Amino acid sequence: MRLVAAEDRFDYSAAELRETQAAALDERFQERKDRIKLLGHRAREAGTTEIRSREDMVPLLFPHTVYKSYPESFLVEERWDRLGKWLGTVSPYPISATGTSDITGIDDWIERLQAKGHYVSCSSGTTGKSAMLLASDQDMDWSRKDTVNVFSWGSGVQPARDRRMMGLAPTAAVPKNLVIGQAQQAAFGDPARERFRLPIPPITVGSLTTMIVLRKKIADGTARPEELAGFEQTSRVRQEALDQAMIAGAEALIRYRDEKLYISGLWNALYQVAKIVRGMGYSAKDFHPDNCIYVGGGLKRAQLPPDYQEFVHQTFNIPASRNFQNYSMQELNSGMPKCQKGDRYHVPPWLVPFILDEEGRTLLPHETGEVEGRAAFYDLSLDGRWGGIITGDKISLDFGPCACGCKGASVRDNIVRYADLPGDDKIGCAGTVDAYVRGLS
Amino acid sequence: MNAVSSGLKPADAAVSAPFFVRGELVEGQDATHRSRDLGVTFATPRIALDQVVHPRTEVPPLLNVPLAEIIDFLVETGQRIRDPGNPFVRECIDRMAATHVLPRAVLEGQVKSAAAYLDQRLLQTVVEQNFPDPRALDEWVPKQDFTGRRSFVRAFPPRLIHVLPGNSPGVAVKSIAQGAMVKAVNLFKMSSSDPFTTVAVLRTMAEIDPGHALVKSMSAVYWRGGDEAVERALYRPQYFDKIVAWGGGDAISNVVKYLGPGFQLVSFDPKTSISMVGREAAASAEALDLAADLAAADVMVLNQEACVASRFIFVEADGHDADRFCERLHARIVERAAASGDARPLDLDLREQIDMLMMLDDEFRVWGKTDGKGLVIRSAEPVDFHPVNKTANVVRVDSLDDALRYVNVATQTVGFYPHQRMPDYRDRLASGGAQRIVRLGQAGPSTIGNPHDAMYPLHRFVHWMAHEDGVGPR
Repeated sequence: MRLVAAEDRFDYSAAELRETQAAALDERFQERKDRIKLLGHRAREAGTTEIRSREDMVPLLFPHTVYKSYPESFLVEERWDRLGKWLGTVSPYPISATGTSDITGIDDWIERLQAKGHYVSCSSGTTGKSAMLLASDQDMDWSRKDTVNVFSWGSGVQPARDRRMMGLAPTAAVPKNLVIGQAQQAAFGDPARERFRLPIPPITVGSLTTMIVLRKKIADGTARPEELAGFEQTSRVRQEALDQAMIAGAEALIRYRDEKLYISGLWNALYQVAKIVRGMGYSAKDFHPDNCIYVGGGLKRAQLPPDYQEFVHQTFNIPASRNFQNYSMQELNSGMPKCQKGDRYHVPPWLVPFILDEEGRTLLPHETGEVEGRAAFYDLSLDGRWGGIITGDKISLDFGPCACGCKGASVRDNIVRYADLPGDDKIGCAGTVDAYVRGLS
Repeated sequence: MNAVSSGLKPADAAVSAPFFVRGELVEGQDATHRSRDLGVTFATPRIALDQVVHPRTEVPPLLNVPLAEIIDFLVETGQRIRDPGNPFVRECIDRMAATHVLPRAVLEGQVKSAAAYLDQRLLQTVVEQNFPDPRALDEWVPKQDFTGRRSFVRAFPPRLIHVLPGNSPGVAVKSIAQGAMVKAVNLFKMSSSDPFTTVAVLRTMAEIDPGHALVKSMSAVYWRGGDEAVERALYRPQYFDKIVAWGGGDAISNVVKYLGPGFQLVSFDPKTSISMVGREAAASAEALDLAADLAAADVMVLNQEACVASRFIFVEADGHDADRFCERLHARIVERAAASGDARPLDLDLREQIDMLMMLDDEFRVWGKTDGKGLVIRSAEPVDFHPVNKTANVVRVDSLDDALRYVNVATQTVGFYPHQRMPDYRDRLASGGAQRIVRLGQAGPSTIGNPHDAMYPLHRFVHWMAHEDGVGPR
């Protein structure tokens, strides 16, 4: 952990780290096996009593879906005590039974947990359940440091507090996103210049779950047509507000074009704003040559033209050397920044990578060179939940040195989600009511 | 013990899957595809698109072949499928064992029982149940209304694309028979988990008479569902009247975008089946044993791969009796799973969700482990996930009336115990969306010729053609 900001943190080879990492994995396991209920269950089933190598950890890695394994009815019927009990099965710290009778909604529930040091971040599941990820104060502190280090290493931008922060992401107001935003602001933002935010109300977990609840009602057949029409109307109003906010974002960018900017957002929003800026007659030549850009998340299935990244970079005059990319996910608490020279994502020493078979059951043999398969990680920095996670991503992990000079493990820039791969077309007569639910906008 | 993985071939050895096009076998290794279920690849020839389409300027080859002759041909086909010396079927089962989730013995049993569909009386009954006057398949049937206006009506042979499912090889035989009886020009799009059975049956038919119009009316090919290079070309009313598709979700949304005037969908929808066990089951130990045994039979139809297989069992009992039922049900499911040699592990996601319910043990109870040998989950309302791979969810209710709210448009078969209470429930089940109500333990069999998916399919397949003959003397 002392390596968090070390300049040479990506320079430790997999072979060099093997023993230290195995020892650290065992330490985490011993410390957590009696505290995380689900981990204890897994360990008993697998007959694991100690971790001597990465192999031993494989049966104890949680699939990323574990954080959405709560019965949906707990959420839909607002049974906060039950949801709390569920959280308790994946938490290393006891979720104390707070009085739940007067809780007004999920946002209130999350707020009360936070007051007790349990930070719950939810992913936006637009078509299904959203994941609920627990974190502790310690994790929040770690995120603050790691996010700045990752961005600084990946983009080459020094945290000199000399930029105007331009926030163009309609992101969910969950603890992790908020902490990251604050830390970036504190490190790179000029305190004298106000941060720009999209003029839209924050997206709360409560507003995300409305969609999930409604979807369940459609499936159950209990949603009424008026309710659906009302929801669609609300969505239209929100979309219009978002479209207006994008225009306001573009206007702000143009207003501050002479200043040194730190632009942050998701690809989809950044692309929309860039298009508006171009439409207003501005492009690279009008912007500061030392701008930088922080992009979070993937495409989230947004349909964008193939050159969307170049288009955004060129619009805002982002130097080629500032092409920041980061491989991470809600389930992890650490980032893997991409180097400029080798075009690879670098795995820090406290993140133990595993390449599993497609089913996520077996560790693929991997001593040297590059291996492709399902990505799994153990994040040794995590405190508020188990650090072992099997992702939904297909990656190529290389144990060889990178062209940039770093000797540590790195990930090739060809990451895809298994869910997005063209599936085979096995169809059956058996199926669920989900196939009968037409989505809402 | 694991009969599934023992039949596996290495992922790099592609299994050959030839096509059958208008009576001819087409071999080739032009494309390889993956059956993701088991990580096996298979190789196919390229599809000669022009050859699978029958020009509208030519009448369908079977138009003037009498139905009786077609049925005789199908019956002969059935006999040859059952013949242990049939090389096509044997080879098909060999190949399928490499790509299918079900154990070999189950697959063999399925092909055999599928052949049982090709029975003279059975096929005759299916036609009679689907058509008020089956003569319309063979001739222009004269009609006259009460005003004296006369006409002729014909169940004219359609041009059909059948998008076959992969979870039940028996459907291949049934689809061929149905396509034959309506005298259609048929294109079967096979599934990645069974690109063999349809071709094996068609080759068996070609052996009987390679030049027969029936054989010339059949093509079976594979492309990956959603492959626009094929679907954008073929899915047009100029080439086909109807697309007969199984499944839902992506499989159907792929198809739906091609629908329009003249190109219609006949869909066999994805379905979930359930059971309802009344309080009478808890009246005695014998009744409880019987109900659990019958429920296990319905859960384990095709090892729970089929839509008729029960997944949710609503039990009208108190907590104690519900648990006694669960214990017995679990034992019966485990016995059946072991007898079929099926111990496929549960998907990680499913395992995770069930393990989680075990943790929440005050509200849920689980019998068995997530080891693929069969398990039962008891809960107060249906679980969120779709129980598959020998997994039953017992939902305790105070009254079976309370279970009706869980019946929905995806509900297919409802197995009922005791059967005397079925008439009290059938109207409300139909209103909720269900399609069949059966005695518990009899989810599989159905009365020959009965509706499927709330319709008489053959009646929907044909192109109903009217020849108006005016008023007055003929």
